[in-house]
Amino acid sequence: MPRPDGFLDAAARALSIRLASGMTRKSFLGRMGGAMLAATGGAAVAAAVRPEKSEAFHFCGHIWTTGSCLNPLGLPRIDKNGFPLRPSDGHRIDNLGRPVNSEGWAVDGSGNRLRSPDGEFLPRAPRTRLCEDWTNEHYKIGGVMQGAWYRCCNGQVRKLVDCCSHSRKRINGDASLTGYCFDGRRVFCVLYYDSGLKC
Amino acid sequence: MVETFTPAVCGSRLRQRLAIALFALAALVASAVLGATLGFFGSLVGTRPALIAAAALAFLAALREAGILRLPLPQSRRQVPERWQYELPLPLWSAGYGAGLGLGFLTFQPVATFWVACAAALALGKPAVAAGCFALYGAGRAFMAVWPRHREPSGPAAVERLVGRASFVPRANAIVLGLAVVLLAVAPAAGAAVTSLGRGFDPAAEGKTLARARMDSGTIKVLVAPPAPDPMDTVSPANAPALNGKYLAYQDDQGIKVIDWRNDTPVRELDGPYSQPALDYPLLAYIRDEGARERLVLVDISKPNLGEQAITSARSAADLGRPALRDGRLAWHRIGRGGSAIYVLNFATNDRRTIKRTNVWMEANPSVTSRRIVWVEHRPRGSYLRMKRFGSKHTKTLMHVSGRKTLLWTTALAGRTAYVTRWTPSTRKAVVLRVNF
Repeated sequence: MPRPDGFLDAAARALSIRLASGMTRKSFLGRMGGAMLAATGGAAVAAAVRPEKSEAFHFCGHIWTTGSCLNPLGLPRIDKNGFPLRPSDGHRIDNLGRPVNSEGWAVDGSGNRLRSPDGEFLPRAPRTRLCEDWTNEHYKIGGVMQGAWYRCCNGQVRKLVDCCSHSRKRINGDASLTGYCFDGRRVFCVLYYDSGLKC
Repeated sequence: MVETFTPAVCGSRLRQRLAIALFALAALVASAVLGATLGFFGSLVGTRPALIAAAALAFLAALREAGILRLPLPQSRRQVPERWQYELPLPLWSAGYGAGLGLGFLTFQPVATFWVACAAALALGKPAVAAGCFALYGAGRAFMAVWPRHREPSGPAAVERLVGRASFVPRANAIVLGLAVVLLAVAPAAGAAVTSLGRGFDPAAEGKTLARARMDSGTIKVLVAPPAPDPMDTVSPANAPALNGKYLAYQDDQGIKVIDWRNDTPVRELDGPYSQPALDYPLLAYIRDEGARERLVLVDISKPNLGEQAITSARSAADLGRPALRDGRLAWHRIGRGGSAIYVLNFATNDRRTIKRTNVWMEANPSVTSRRIVWVEHRPRGSYLRMKRFGSKHTKTLMHVSGRKTLLWTTALAGRTAYVTRWTPSTRKAVVLRVNF
């Protein structure tokens, strides 16, 4: 599916061409302006509305709406308790994005614990919940995981979760929506949990 | 000024010389004070944003001086008050004129360069260096009061001739400002100059002397490098050095040892499950492993009976890391699964303060002096060497490394020089970096 800003690029380019073709032959500056708009207009308009890297329509099941919650590796994949997982394979990660074992120690690709220069094991980095801890530390909005809905993604059931708060603004910076939140809360950002159940 | 500093105005040739000397001195002092002030504010703002601002300003000023861009200059369109000559005694008015012109912004500025110099002084972030550099501006002011007369008997006539060549000034100025843009753009991290000091880790610094640990053929040893020409001292096997004057504390298989590193004579030995010493003689802090918990304790090694004072403890799942002890302050980190924090205890006031606490990032490995604290903040995108002055709310980033493959680790601090270990776990390569800020 084409990205929405792709549509905007195309629309701006078409508008630019129409503007440029409306100029007289003598209107050199006008043509130059049109050409520049054609070249830059699309990107400029798209830049104005293009979401951040971690926002919306980057993960299956969630298209063009509230942005994702802060997370270590770009996508807000969580386990059932809200702790971060590596988006590519669902491996546990700590808050620094490093893969960790079941006890929270950072490990390398072979599963061996990482060591400091003197050979001692590196300390465990914090591993905290993306909604309740990360979002609250950064935005002080009292976020809690509430509403959820389900989609079929990559052959398994994906649970999409709203991180809800009483904030009238969402992570995108504009007005927040009620979504699946309750008790007067609105959606601040979204997360997802891959259940592993086939669909 | 040339017309002012004449024997006729001053009263005699001797009084003229006195007036010029006082004018020059006041101009130098005033411009140096301005530079120091800007440097001081630069140290609060952070050098990186100030450097970017200075480069941008220099670029705009170059365009203005080249006549490409029309920009008004923020300035006072006044000259020094003439009535001072008649109302005030000579030492006062000559020094007043010097101070007024030395400060720069009180009088008319025909070119934009002054404001670029202000931005550059801000970007330096070092009051003393900025004062020295800016004093040259005052020297220039003083020079222009003397130089025309030196070349020609009539000072005013010399100034007239100079004004006649004024069209040359903007062009030269534009070239100089263009060079300034280039120099500012390539400045190494805006004053936080980073230098690699070679292999090693766990730095400890005292003045110009640096100790570090190094892994050689599977054995960890401690190297103490005083300033040249003193020879380097090596202790092996030894790890986790802490340096304080002639004293070196380190850990080995038996526990912690304190020696006089200049002649390798033992001072104190603490055998047991002790590690990570921090030394501010006679105080020694270290981590005591108690199995289920680890405890940060403080002792006075000059006393026969150590009398351990427990500072804090943590379950062994958490980490208290490598403490730092200097000038009556003890700093340490606590890293747990739910978050991390940096703490400082001031012995004089018994005030225990949290420097940084977070539920998200990993704050680790602090070092202190009487004025500042540095530590490393780990985030998914990289490691950041942070610095904070005690009593200030502002945290400054001295340097950072991007990515998760290489990270910053243990630190040391001496004056305005920080040291930090850069560690790549996959290659086991550790180097000590020096960061001048």
